[in-house]
Amino acid sequence: MQEYAVLIPLLPIFGFILTLFLGRKLPGQGSFIPVLAIAGSTIISVGVLLEIYPSGEVIHQSWHWFSLINIGILVDPLAAVMLCMVSFVSLIIHIYSMEYMKGQGERYYAETSLFTAGMLGVVIADNLFLFFLSWELVGLCSYLLIGYWYRKPSAASAAKKAFLVTRVGDVLLLAGIFITYANMIKFAPDSQYPLSLLEIFRHITDIPPLQLTLITLLFLGGAAGKSGQFPLHIWLPDAMEGPTTVSALIHAATMVTAGVYLVARTFPMFLAAPYSLVVVAYLGAFTALIAATMGLVMNDIKRVLAYSTISQLGYMMLALGSGAIIGMAAVGIAMLHLISHAFFKALLFLCSGSVIHATHTNDIRLMGGLLSKMKITGYTMLIGSLALAGIPITSGYYSKDAIIEAALEYGLGSGDLLPYLMGLFTVLLTATYIFRAWFMAFVGKSRLPKGKPHESPWLMTVPLIILAFCSLVFAGAVNSWFGGKIFVEYVGRTFERIAGTDPEVLSAMGGYHLMEVHVEHSFLILPLAFAVVGVLIAAMVYWAKKPDPESIVSPTNPIYRLLITKYYELPIIDFISMRITMGVAILTKVVERIFIDGSIWLITQTGFLLGEILRMAQSGIVRHYATAVALGTGLLIIGLWGWL
Amino acid sequence: MNIEWILSNYGVLLPEAVLTLFAFAIILIGLKYRSILGYLAFVGGVVSLGLVIMNFSVNATLLYNSLVFDPLSQFFKVVFLLVTLLTIIASLRYYHGNAHQGEYYFLLLIATVGMMFVASANDLVSLFVAFELGSIATYVLAAFDKENPRSIEAGFKYFMIGALSSAILLLGMSLIYGITGTTNFTALSQMSFEMSGYTLAALVLIIAGLGFKMALVPFHMWAPDTYQGAPTVVSAMLAAGSKKMGFVAAFKLIVLALIALRTEWYMVFAVIAVITMTYGNLVALTQRSLKRMLAYSSIAQAGYIAMALVVVSYTHVDSVVNLAMGGALFYILSHAFMKGGAFLAVGTVGYMLLRDKIKVDEDDIDNFSGLSKTAPITAFSLTVFLFALAGIPLTAGFVSKLLIFSAAIYGGLAWLAVIAILNSALSLFYYARVVKVMYWDKPKFDLKGEPTAYVVAVLLALLGTVLLGVYPGPFVDVAMKVAEVFL
Repeated sequence: MQEYAVLIPLLPIFGFILTLFLGRKLPGQGSFIPVLAIAGSTIISVGVLLEIYPSGEVIHQSWHWFSLINIGILVDPLAAVMLCMVSFVSLIIHIYSMEYMKGQGERYYAETSLFTAGMLGVVIADNLFLFFLSWELVGLCSYLLIGYWYRKPSAASAAKKAFLVTRVGDVLLLAGIFITYANMIKFAPDSQYPLSLLEIFRHITDIPPLQLTLITLLFLGGAAGKSGQFPLHIWLPDAMEGPTTVSALIHAATMVTAGVYLVARTFPMFLAAPYSLVVVAYLGAFTALIAATMGLVMNDIKRVLAYSTISQLGYMMLALGSGAIIGMAAVGIAMLHLISHAFFKALLFLCSGSVIHATHTNDIRLMGGLLSKMKITGYTMLIGSLALAGIPITSGYYSKDAIIEAALEYGLGSGDLLPYLMGLFTVLLTATYIFRAWFMAFVGKSRLPKGKPHESPWLMTVPLIILAFCSLVFAGAVNSWFGGKIFVEYVGRTFERIAGTDPEVLSAMGGYHLMEVHVEHSFLILPLAFAVVGVLIAAMVYWAKKPDPESIVSPTNPIYRLLITKYYELPIIDFISMRITMGVAILTKVVERIFIDGSIWLITQTGFLLGEILRMAQSGIVRHYATAVALGTGLLIIGLWGWL
Repeated sequence: MNIEWILSNYGVLLPEAVLTLFAFAIILIGLKYRSILGYLAFVGGVVSLGLVIMNFSVNATLLYNSLVFDPLSQFFKVVFLLVTLLTIIASLRYYHGNAHQGEYYFLLLIATVGMMFVASANDLVSLFVAFELGSIATYVLAAFDKENPRSIEAGFKYFMIGALSSAILLLGMSLIYGITGTTNFTALSQMSFEMSGYTLAALVLIIAGLGFKMALVPFHMWAPDTYQGAPTVVSAMLAAGSKKMGFVAAFKLIVLALIALRTEWYMVFAVIAVITMTYGNLVALTQRSLKRMLAYSSIAQAGYIAMALVVVSYTHVDSVVNLAMGGALFYILSHAFMKGGAFLAVGTVGYMLLRDKIKVDEDDIDNFSGLSKTAPITAFSLTVFLFALAGIPLTAGFVSKLLIFSAAIYGGLAWLAVIAILNSALSLFYYARVVKVMYWDKPKFDLKGEPTAYVVAVLLALLGTVLLGVYPGPFVDVAMKVAEVFL
């Protein structure tokens, strides 16, 4: 399988081309083409993982592209598990959308295929240049897909917002890549491909640590844009304007995990960069907390899920940040939650899609009592919610628990318990907001104004069942039930076989003190307790109605006002974009009009004038031409004679 | 003297022999069967190209060291044959049914043979004879549409200036022979010259004589009139192929043979290169005829390529010389695709106007308005060619300029690179104007479908332009390897 690894991102690209050009003429708008292509990618990904798993080896293939840039793929344990997840979840979502997006145009299927290809490219790229190209491809496709119903003004503006906000991150990432390049050229001049990840890792110790801090913080900025970390999270909730399947793709498989993956992929650089991991930990914990509070009050079922994604991504960042104490294992822990989250978040989105398909509304205030009518959707969504809340035996319990434990180790090791406490409190909020949504939608009396909801067709429910199964067993199976922490150890060792990534050397450079921290077992029960309390609160308020939710949810309650306005996000953004940005824009406009346009006008006019004058020499008479030849030759001889 | 002996000694001549054979066969067969001539010429070209590529890394001399076969000569032969093949494909449609097809394809192939011999020449005499063979055939080709007064005028002007330049070139060559007593390049390259008025005059005369073919200012004035008046397929061949004959001759005669005079020609080429690119770009700005515009752009491009000669004469660092000459070779290959393609695309439009009986000046810029709707493939390809000529990334033109300009910078001629880059920026204006007209303006004429033969030729050129731009690595390597001849 290894020799086919390069096909993993290529197959969906072929799928994109075929679907785009032939889809219109094929049955079902060619929706089966991307499914087949991505199925191929999935099979190859899993095959590659099974092949490299026993030996823990790394596949690296590279071809010369031009000057100092190569095209190459790097499949180490980190990339291998990620490839499997991305292609598998994307496959499930594609199968589901064969039914869900029936008759909505072949462009949809083509673009989702390209979207998947971009993400697979991000994962498999062996150099930052290719990484960035794929990263931008993901950004472009997200823009196209969020704005898929572009005639709807809200969708068009959401697409624009997503594009612009992630662009801020992209610029930071690009700046980081430039600085990396400059450093590599300067400190490792004999490197053949200065942007190749392997070369960078080999030369980390040659780069000054503070330069690394700058680079990694810029990378973190890029990651924050794509992965919706504070304060660049604002695009993610609006991205719900796209079709629900697109939201599922963005949230689970193809987009938001790219940022976390970026940090994981370049983790050796973070480990060698002073302060960076602390920033990562704080950013993650803070984002997790603040997004969870906002998730509490949303009424659009997809928005609840959007804020939960932001919050969960925060957890992953927190896990990576705790690498300041626990070292490379942090990568394994973050990836465990990333994949586990991908399963249950895809499940939750597809369930909500199923609900929206049946009720034609997003508003959970208008739902209620759906469980009796949509049994499969209801129970699979319950599994997804349990996983998100982190209730035992679900996948989410094991993966989230590992993060909280890592954060605690970080807290005890560094003496700074704040990220741990924020993470712990977020567990309570998470359980509350997701069960609030579930109870409001599935139990009680139906509040639907009209229509009779019914279960969705099998093409939609089968993917739900598959994902529910994964959400139940994934993390437990790979990291707990059979012989301990298999997954975390396997992925955590991803850098062991890559030269220049010795954690001892790197952490010494970054000023982190890696250590084994002993954690009291009694502490480990805390997250579970918080989760159960969260579920109980939701059950009391939204099921038993004691106290009545109406009494809390009122515009007079200042906390509610703060949350429903998303911490006054709108006025703040307006101030930044309208006042500051516009001010700068007007200033540059004036400068441009007068100086730049003016000088260009001057240059073109001079050019035209000169051209007209010179053109007169072209008389069309051969005698003149011959004279020019003779004169030119003569002048050259005289001139050269004088010069010498 | 059996066949094996001939093959083992003269086998390297096979490509030229095959082409000549096909040329005469075409004349004979053309007396009876006209419709297959184009295909025959095409087959001849392909066979010849295959033979050249098979023998790419050959190293042999023939006929008392007057002909040399090395990667440099093979490289240029590949370029010439590619251009000829593109021209033949487009001509299949343009000269379909013409009573004089036999002569046309004969002249085309013979011109190519002449150019190929120039690439192999290693002696003043063989160079001159081959140069004349390659030139005279093209004089006739330029005047081939004899009902069209412009074509006649084009051929006439081309011939007059060509004859004058030949005389100048010959004068320069005889001076060289008079000074050194040898005509062989290998021998010349080992001479040391005493600086005198004679050597100086010889050098300038040779540069002037070859400057005619390369269309360097002020020896360029025939080019716009000829490119505009000649049948467009022939213009494509002249700009993309025949012009390169001037360059290979200059590389051989000046860089290889007269290397001892390098400090002298440094200043000559520096002045000529700067004037040529600036003049070409400035005058191209105001052209309404697309063929004239392409002619001036071709002059400007010659200026960029001539930068390599400046760099070579200025620096003595091997790696920079290699970069400059490799860059020039790569530029020549790319230019064959992008300029040949651009002329063919313009020719497509001219042909469609003629076919649909629309009576206008065939290459006025107005004819191209809204072309993206009436002839989308041609419009798109022309866009790519023009952007390539301007040097936009992901096209062959970008890589070419990158190589030559960086050679200039590494060679310590940053000022030259700056002038060249400013020129490139200026040139984008007139290229982009055509794109704007094709994509934003309303269609003026209703054209009925794009002719297949033209489209095939244009798409092949497009393939070359894009391939060299997106995946330049192996081609740059080949060009650099070939350029090692100059070290």
